[in-house]
Amino acid sequence: MSSRIRVFSTSVGTKLLIGVTGLALFLFLISHIAGNALIFLGRDTFNTYSHTLTSNPLIPVIEIVLLLIFLVHIYKTVTMYLRNQQARPVAYQAKKSQGSPSRRSVSSLTMIITGLWLLIFVVIHVKGFKYGAYYAVDGADGVRDLHRLVVENFRSPLMVAFYVVSMLIVGSHLWHGVSSGFQSLGLDHPRWTPRILAFGKAFAVLIGGGFILITLYVHLFGGQVGQ
Amino acid sequence: MRLNLKIWRQAGPNAAGRLVDYVAENVSPDMSFLEMLDVVNESLLRKGEESIAFDSDCREGICGMCSLVVNGVPHGPDRGTTVCQLHMRRFKDGDTITIEPWRARAFPVVKDLVVDRSAFDRIIAAGGYVSINCGGAPDGNAIPIPKDVAEAAMDSAQCIACGACVAACKNASAHLFMSAKISQLALLPQGDAERERRVVAMIEQADAEGFGSCSNEAECEAVCPKEIPISNIAKMTREYVRAVLAAK
Repeated sequence: MSSRIRVFSTSVGTKLLIGVTGLALFLFLISHIAGNALIFLGRDTFNTYSHTLTSNPLIPVIEIVLLLIFLVHIYKTVTMYLRNQQARPVAYQAKKSQGSPSRRSVSSLTMIITGLWLLIFVVIHVKGFKYGAYYAVDGADGVRDLHRLVVENFRSPLMVAFYVVSMLIVGSHLWHGVSSGFQSLGLDHPRWTPRILAFGKAFAVLIGGGFILITLYVHLFGGQVGQ
Repeated sequence: MRLNLKIWRQAGPNAAGRLVDYVAENVSPDMSFLEMLDVVNESLLRKGEESIAFDSDCREGICGMCSLVVNGVPHGPDRGTTVCQLHMRRFKDGDTITIEPWRARAFPVVKDLVVDRSAFDRIIAAGGYVSINCGGAPDGNAIPIPKDVAEAAMDSAQCIACGACVAACKNASAHLFMSAKISQLALLPQGDAERERRVVAMIEQADAEGFGSCSNEAECEAVCPKEIPISNIAKMTREYVRAVLAAK
């Protein structure tokens, strides 16, 4: 019987790890967009939320766990991709999809490309916000004015375009990724699988579209509507 | 019918291959795809040329020998059929048809359209069997198996090991093939005794053969002549988790 470490280096064990980490990142995205949506309620609400979040002593621990999840997901997918490339050294001259019940889509065929784009995006995103300019809220000691940072970051049309494209890519990655994550964990059921597939696509649209909406709202209205 | 064929010709395992153009004349719509190739081969032999090598045996869709990628789809355009059961009425006069072998590192080309699928045999030899000694034939009703369980096991047992799942998968993964055998045996009491050992051994053997990992696209299910669903792969994953947790 395999050792515990070797378990995760087989093809099935690799998919298990990718599925677990992928679904964990999906849950993170849901909480992320739920928090960001508070920007629609105005500057004070948003800053109170972000202050409550970042001042929580557990946040550094959660950040490290999140980083580890990210790194495992990236490492396992990239090494799996390279291995899979070797599995067919001579390509077909003509190849096409058979169609239903195949779930193949542009999204499923481009997971490695969308994934690597998102890796670059996350670096730029974290640099721009977590490690971006520090503005203090007037009259509140030690409270960071993240609302102002968001507005300033999204003033540049180039930055907005980069975010919109990146969020379309997030949507594409989730379109295949969410249901695929469940499948990789061995969850398949005649009644539930069609629902999981629909759920994955719905959340891909909601999350990708939701972030785009927030970006455009901040860019066009400076996050000031409803103040 | 008159058809334009582009057929993969490769002299041997290490030779470079290429698509060669042929014209198939007087093709009857009632011919099977392989009969059409037989006619092409006869005309090649008459001209003193070497015939096109391709695999076939039963020609009734149950042995799993035939293995052609027709216009980019393993076993051709019909669902739930092997290429020997594909008929020329599916094509139109003047069509161009591209014919290639299965392509995977673990399925090296022997010649032209013939590939070596003994990697599948080695996966089965790693654990796809029941080795418990059960003595003489037991009474038919001594081991009760519910009808729905027997049906599910039979659905998985339909796999004819043709390798179309590998040919269709973008990762050349053998997961559908392995999982069909693993599911079939895990469902039955006879297979239960060795289920943990079996799933681990078969997965490790498939990885060693150089097959890729599952893409979750279900392209394999779409081309499988026996329409075996990828729910078998999920079942294999659950068996694997069970085996890992039960490891001593």
